[in-house]
Amino acid sequence: MDLARWICAGGTAVFILSAFYQVMLVTLRGKNDEWSAARGSVREGMIYSLTGAMAPWKKETAFLHLPTYGAGIVYHIGSFVAFGWLAIHCFGIGIPAWIRIISIAVFLASVVSGAGILLKRFINPRLQKLSVPDDYFSNGLVTGFQIVSLLVLLRKVETQVLFFYAGLLFLYIPVGKLRHVIFFFIARLYLGRYYGKRGIWPPSRNRA
Amino acid sequence: MNRVKPSAPIQKALEKFADALDGRLRAHLNSCVHCGLCAEVCHYYQVTKDDADMPATKVEQLSRVFKRYRTLAGRIIPRWIGADNFDQKAVEEMLDVVFGRCTMCGRCALHCSIGVDIPFLVRTSRSMLVELGLVPPGLQSTVDAAVQTGNNMAIPREELVDTLEWLEEELRIDVEDENARIPLDQRGAKVLYTLNPREPKFFPLSISAISKIFHAAGESWTISTNVYDVTNYAYFSGGDDEARTLTRRLFDETLNLEAETLALAECGHGYRAIRWEGPDWIEKRYPFKVISIIELLADYIRSGKIRVDSSRNEKPVTLHDPCNLVRNGGVMQEQRYVLTNVAKHFIEMVPNRENNYCCGGGGGQLSMGEYKERRIAAGRVKADQICKTGAKIVATPCHNCIDQLMELNQVYKLDVEIKTIAEIAADAVLL
Repeated sequence: MDLARWICAGGTAVFILSAFYQVMLVTLRGKNDEWSAARGSVREGMIYSLTGAMAPWKKETAFLHLPTYGAGIVYHIGSFVAFGWLAIHCFGIGIPAWIRIISIAVFLASVVSGAGILLKRFINPRLQKLSVPDDYFSNGLVTGFQIVSLLVLLRKVETQVLFFYAGLLFLYIPVGKLRHVIFFFIARLYLGRYYGKRGIWPPSRNRA
Repeated sequence: MNRVKPSAPIQKALEKFADALDGRLRAHLNSCVHCGLCAEVCHYYQVTKDDADMPATKVEQLSRVFKRYRTLAGRIIPRWIGADNFDQKAVEEMLDVVFGRCTMCGRCALHCSIGVDIPFLVRTSRSMLVELGLVPPGLQSTVDAAVQTGNNMAIPREELVDTLEWLEEELRIDVEDENARIPLDQRGAKVLYTLNPREPKFFPLSISAISKIFHAAGESWTISTNVYDVTNYAYFSGGDDEARTLTRRLFDETLNLEAETLALAECGHGYRAIRWEGPDWIEKRYPFKVISIIELLADYIRSGKIRVDSSRNEKPVTLHDPCNLVRNGGVMQEQRYVLTNVAKHFIEMVPNRENNYCCGGGGGQLSMGEYKERRIAAGRVKADQICKTGAKIVATPCHNCIDQLMELNQVYKLDVEIKTIAEIAADAVLL
């Protein structure tokens, strides 16, 4: 295994260990809030939190900001596709050409989206005030990961560059805001539990 | 960045934070991505356009403390990730933001692109400020009055009994029945009914209304003259010990009077505090049922225990959903069921139910005179909503909301009447 692969493997290991530790902290050390009698269903609330509640028409943060919301969705799709391709390159899996072509299109769109979101953070006064260096760096780092993934698919760059870059990315994820990849789902489950138990989510329950 | 050793009180606040740092809190503190899309969801920001009013700014008050003291990166590269010392400046900013710019209504949490429970973080911040003795004096004195005298308006027991006896006489005249009663301290009554101390003090008609309904339903009910306060302002202040004390008193009194059901007066935060947070504060399951009086009222109509005539309420009525009863309490449909049965024209505000806008009176704002201007300004969103309905009566099952709406009515010249649900229902009851 070459150095780039070692760095990638090392970064991945650090990320997995960190994620495991963090998940333990947020789940095993959950507060005991079981004393009140449920009005609704915790299970249904949690499912709704990860499904229906995520629909853009349910969130003002989405439907009042459709361009940003859309760019964010495309950007995140691009990130997941890039991680998928990283695994494909790592394990040398054969992939049909049409998937490669679709992936290139996804990366083009996601890189534009990521760059757009970064630009917005630079020029929007409200976001400037809210932002810290990590916000700019994390956005740039992930956009860079997508760019490198794209260039590898276009055969402009060797896969070693992607492995090296991915290793650094994995090492950085536990440090800054990229940690939300770990916490996003857990936070949503906690929120779903809160609203579910009280009978607020799913809304079909409280309209009966 | 130098890590300044925190002073003793600040250290105490940090210890309070460490104690509260469970999995749920940790998950929410790690999740904000500073997207800023939450700004317009908040009624404060909608009016002021001030960055300090953004929900994300409210998250920051606590998350930067979390990062600084509870993460490795925050200790090594604090500026890079937005970690900061919890020093005098940070405390002052936290105080202004979490008490002066937030009603903990929770609209932001519902709409957050990630799902960060922002009011939960705000209340945790408030609980840290409790340790520093920095709860705004008006709010703290309300809590102190409740803890020391048994009710937040410090009404002496004799005064309460006098008021209730006078209301009982009025009830007998109103329902033309010499046997009509407002039963006091009656052991074994099925329903123990609580009061908001504002009712005996300023709004006795609310008590008359509910007494008439209980009478019409033939309910077995009572009011405790020792422990009757439905409010729990310690929920707002962040004072967990005081919140626990107040909850335990009501819990013990319900057991003492052997009531099957604890029926809570029309009070948004009281419902939330007793129904949802209370069992966790005292770490006990309630062996009795806890319901809002609105749920009981809906049940009376549904089951035919009371008969109502909607033509007795001709004026168009709209409904303001109290955040703590609805978005955070789950009581959504019952008040609608009641109003559609007791009023001829019921008009929904838009948005409503869990998406409703806070009136601006929650979070203890009505007790904090120093933030009055902001409170009235933020209420403009609700005033606009009311105007658009064209209604002549605004019904709301919460006395904090009623106080705020009455002020908004004057300031924004809404020309509406503000009433509780029970008051409207009582007018429609057929005896």
